[in-house]
Amino acid sequence: MQHILGSYFRLLGAQVRSQLQYRASFILDVFSTAFFTITEFGALALVFTRFETIGGWTLAEVAFLYGLVELSFGLMDMFFAGFDPTFFGENIRKGSFDQLLLRPVPVIWQVLGSDLTLRRIGYVFLGLTIFVFAVHFSGLEWTLAKVVYLPFVIVGMVLFFGGLFMIGSSFTFWTVESVEAMNILTFGGSFLISYPMSIYQDWLRRIFTFVVPAIFLNYYPALYFLDKPDPFDFPFIAHFLAPVAGGIVFALALAFWKFGLGHYQSTGN
Amino acid sequence: MKPIITVENLSKTFQVRKHHQGTLSVLRNFFTRDSRVIHAVDNVSFSVNKGEVVGYLGPNGAGKSTTIKMLTGLLVPSGGTLNVNGFVPWKERQRYVSSIGAVFGQRTTLWWDLPVIESLHLLQYIYKVPEATFKQNLKEFERVLELNEFITSPVRSLSLGQRMRADLCAALLHTPALLFLDEPTIGLDVIAKERIRQFIKHVNDVRETTVLLTTHDLSDVQKLCGRILIIDQGKLLFDGALDTLQNRFGGKWQLVVDFAESYPNVEVIGAEVVRLEGIRVTYAFDRSKLSVSDLISRISALYNIRDISVQEPEIETTIRNIYEGKLLESPL
Repeated sequence: MQHILGSYFRLLGAQVRSQLQYRASFILDVFSTAFFTITEFGALALVFTRFETIGGWTLAEVAFLYGLVELSFGLMDMFFAGFDPTFFGENIRKGSFDQLLLRPVPVIWQVLGSDLTLRRIGYVFLGLTIFVFAVHFSGLEWTLAKVVYLPFVIVGMVLFFGGLFMIGSSFTFWTVESVEAMNILTFGGSFLISYPMSIYQDWLRRIFTFVVPAIFLNYYPALYFLDKPDPFDFPFIAHFLAPVAGGIVFALALAFWKFGLGHYQSTGN
Repeated sequence: MKPIITVENLSKTFQVRKHHQGTLSVLRNFFTRDSRVIHAVDNVSFSVNKGEVVGYLGPNGAGKSTTIKMLTGLLVPSGGTLNVNGFVPWKERQRYVSSIGAVFGQRTTLWWDLPVIESLHLLQYIYKVPEATFKQNLKEFERVLELNEFITSPVRSLSLGQRMRADLCAALLHTPALLFLDEPTIGLDVIAKERIRQFIKHVNDVRETTVLLTTHDLSDVQKLCGRILIIDQGKLLFDGALDTLQNRFGGKWQLVVDFAESYPNVEVIGAEVVRLEGIRVTYAFDRSKLSVSDLISRISALYNIRDISVQEPEIETTIRNIYEGKLLESPL
């Protein structure tokens, strides 16, 4: 395991050194992703100049959801960049994935080490800024339990979206044409859970509860952090399921990845 | 001695989906499962001893790459058995790949934006190469491959030949017992090709590394391979030395003779006159029936010879004949 982690960190180091060679492009990328987030959040803030609240949530409270997703998704996108289905599908198509199979380190760690999108640091930083703003203006009252739980919520979301990336990549073992459909699910999902679940129609919310358990990743933890009542009368434990939901999706993704890799090795491409 | 590679009745079949065309083709592709089976590798058996350099030849799509992918553990065979260096490649892939080196033609294992030397250090860690071995190997490869001129340059700035040299070095840093090369000289100029060949020869001579290489370049075969395997449409057509191939399946040899004077009749028993240009006469003969020296003594007994040259049949022709199925009805 020590050798595996050592290899992983060295692979990441190689990615960082590679990307820092293109300084101008790196800075531009950071600024453009940051700009994207600012305009998106700006548009959201504008809505609140007309309406005081959305579904009973103030701007600062929605910013809590938004900032937390942005922060977690940014972290995920940085560290799971190797599993970005678009990037991964390209490696399958070009055959460079085969090179990883020729090295004596588990493939999963090599894929994780095959890309690190440093420029996503803009995302992460802005998510953090919005989150801090939300914490300040929403009047959130910190308790020891909330401080301890927060990192678990972030890890839960990283695992959840990382899992979706892995599932998308695993599909490319069969066909690279599936990439777009999976991207819609991943990026669309992160967009949808940036807003309170109470604003969605019942059927959509049910999908996000029972099919893809995204409601537990962000919405229920936010209810807990902001001391808001639960409109859906779930048991109290529902507030603390973020790492469980993330963990389950990630475990399923791992199993599907193994299955896909087996298929790839028996069929080639 | 136990062979280092044992392949028995190895097969690989692929299901190829039929793709419909036209309107609604996407839906039809999705809902129907029309497929046909392709036998990429069909019941192939051979074994390779330690220290051999074996050339694996065949036209495009013959099954060369599929075989190499099975031998390197990338693909799982559909049938037959496979043992390389004591491992079943696809089952024990992770442990197995430490004992082999592989270079797949156009692809590089190196990090595109990093200097060559940094890639090599990274691979040193990944393959757990002890520092002393690494230094010793690098020193040797730097010398033989002349890596010094570009070892601190990023891989993206290297020429194809330089990149191939760097990749060969990377594939051999962990002192593998076997080296698999898929088209190692493709796209290179004559000088670069020669350098790669000399290096492969060096590694084989000095380290007794077993080499299996696929190629389209028959000079690679002539200069490197003691033995060749020929595959076409998934079936092994020939396994043996190049000479054997020439003798068994080759066209006729030619003897070009310049006579001291012009003779009205230059016929000789056992050879056929194929061209007559003044004093220069070209004979064609079957070397398995008549040796070169016998033919020369027959001719010189009758006529006055000034100059002589012997021409082997072109290996390209021989192999093309085999592909076209003209010569080989019963394999081996």
